[in-house]
Amino acid sequence: MSTSDQANLNQGRQPPGGPQRELGEEDALSIACQSCGAELVVASNIRSTVCPYCASPSIVERPPTPNRPDPTFVVGFVRDHQQATNAVKQWITSRHMFVRSDFKRASPELTRGVYLPAYLYSAISDSQYSAEIGENYTETETYTTTDSNGKSVTKTRTVTKTEYRSLQGRHEGYLIDIVVSASRGVANDALEAIEPFDLRAMRRYEAGMIAGWIAEEPSRTVDECMRLSHDEAMQIIQRKLQGFMPGDSHRNLRHRTNLHDEMVHLILLPIWSFALRYADDQPPLKILVNGQTGRVNGEVPISYGKIALAVAAVLLVVLILFLLFGGAAGLAN
Amino acid sequence: MDNLQVTPEANSEDGSLCARCHSPLEQGDLRCAICGEVAPAKERATLTTVVTKILRCTGCGAAIGYDIKHQAPACSFCGGVVEEESVSDPMEQTEMFLPFTVTEQQAQRALKQWLANQGWSRPSDLASTATFAGLKPLWWVGWVFHAEAQVSWAADSDAGSRRSSWAPHSGQTTLQFNRVLVSASRGLTNQEANAITPGMNLQTAQSGPGGARADAIIEQFDVQRSQARREVIAAIERLSAESVQRTEIPGRKFRNVAVSLVLRGLHTQRYALPAYVIAYRYKEQLYRVVICGQDTKLVIGKAPRSLMKTVVLPIVIVIVIALIFLLFSAF
Repeated sequence: MSTSDQANLNQGRQPPGGPQRELGEEDALSIACQSCGAELVVASNIRSTVCPYCASPSIVERPPTPNRPDPTFVVGFVRDHQQATNAVKQWITSRHMFVRSDFKRASPELTRGVYLPAYLYSAISDSQYSAEIGENYTETETYTTTDSNGKSVTKTRTVTKTEYRSLQGRHEGYLIDIVVSASRGVANDALEAIEPFDLRAMRRYEAGMIAGWIAEEPSRTVDECMRLSHDEAMQIIQRKLQGFMPGDSHRNLRHRTNLHDEMVHLILLPIWSFALRYADDQPPLKILVNGQTGRVNGEVPISYGKIALAVAAVLLVVLILFLLFGGAAGLAN
Repeated sequence: MDNLQVTPEANSEDGSLCARCHSPLEQGDLRCAICGEVAPAKERATLTTVVTKILRCTGCGAAIGYDIKHQAPACSFCGGVVEEESVSDPMEQTEMFLPFTVTEQQAQRALKQWLANQGWSRPSDLASTATFAGLKPLWWVGWVFHAEAQVSWAADSDAGSRRSSWAPHSGQTTLQFNRVLVSASRGLTNQEANAITPGMNLQTAQSGPGGARADAIIEQFDVQRSQARREVIAAIERLSAESVQRTEIPGRKFRNVAVSLVLRGLHTQRYALPAYVIAYRYKEQLYRVVICGQDTKLVIGKAPRSLMKTVVLPIVIVIVIALIFLLFSAF
């Protein structure tokens, strides 16, 4: 159903295996729109663009490098611009009471729908763990107390106690579907906040899936992303091991984990990015929307005035109560 | 389940195996469902220079862009949509049928035999009074899998306990699952399916239904492939936990049995398996019995209990014993 027009451009790029320049140091690319001939400048970190004159989408495919591999998968946009905007408005109004009032009144300005580069990480984890496992038991103990007549009486009661036994072992398992941001523009925490993406809906990357949209190239190196993946993997393993421990409780859980058979693949994820300017003297805030599920997250400015007022109100109430009851107690004495 | 025979390689439609866990990749898999490894793609030419592309509709020549409404690249002028390779998640389909080797007459005789052998707690006239109310041949569906699992386990047991009744244990073992059948049936209960499974002989498998009348019920898988895989993996986890409890964890009492699996070479096949579902009536009440379609010895079902034998008789016995005791204590 589709054909593709291609134009080879020599922009002095190093072929794969040649000397590498740092990510972000490459030159912008000047291309001619193949529909109307207009000259378009494509930033080095952008993979696709739309001609401002004829709205024709162009995809720029650069030779892959170790830190900029070709995308393997793409998750398509499901939420459109209007749905994303509505989700952001609803999110803003549902923030807690201590956010600035001008933030709640501000209206979001759409930056654009972007295909964000991320790495999909999977591995096999092999953990040696040790922990103290708490096993509960009950004991009947006698105790002395005073009854209603003021006499000392001896009674029995059942108490639950815990004995701790040491446990060492090995835990192996697959780690899959760890997604980390490969863009310096979106911190990994920010991406995590709008996850998950339904990876069952992902497709193998084809240029047509990003045509007409902005698609970023990775701006983090694979090594950086591997470190981020390892951090996430360790958090997941910690949770898995906590759920794996027997007993009624456990403490001092330690593990030494080796990750092997690691695989990373570049995936493009759909993100709506909004800028929110709520005050002239403040920089705009970035709000991200998951372009597949509509999940929203962003920074929220706290109103210190509201917090101070709330603290003052609580103190005032405490003071009034103290004066009322303290005064009454004083009168009674 | 030892009589179930599976040809492992037959599962892989395109013959490719996952590079990491060696499980078959089925047509439409972009990744391995077990370990997440990416399925091999068609080789693409490696670019050595920058290339710009503009995709054009073959119908009208207009530029194509990704369209949210179609969830695919589409032409905004003529509405044509480009199909891209995506994860396909089709409904599970039966691959092989086991034929009925038990006839309807043999099944009815097996029912009579079963009713006659129901033990003392059933009504004495059960076999003679029960009337046959209907028989339906049914092909029920199930997955047969084999896999190797590296199982890490942790549990509490009574072995080595001190003040508490429980002590923690952990270990690792390798389990081989050979030709294990997991029911996917909505028509039979798990208990019914498990009871008649040992009678199935997969060596008799054929590509279509056979050995039963034309109006036999052929149950369909009603789950998609992804859900089926989840159910098979959940079954492997359950079976692994049962296995380590039986063979690895010391002691006689267990709790908190947790397992973590590294599965390798998981091959799954989808079978339709024969059974007779028979209804009989006893004193206006209908009861159901399921008979294996390949072995009349495997029968499971419900039968009425005799009120006289299960409640009144024990009470009478207790009263008689009490009277005897009283008589002896009086003298």
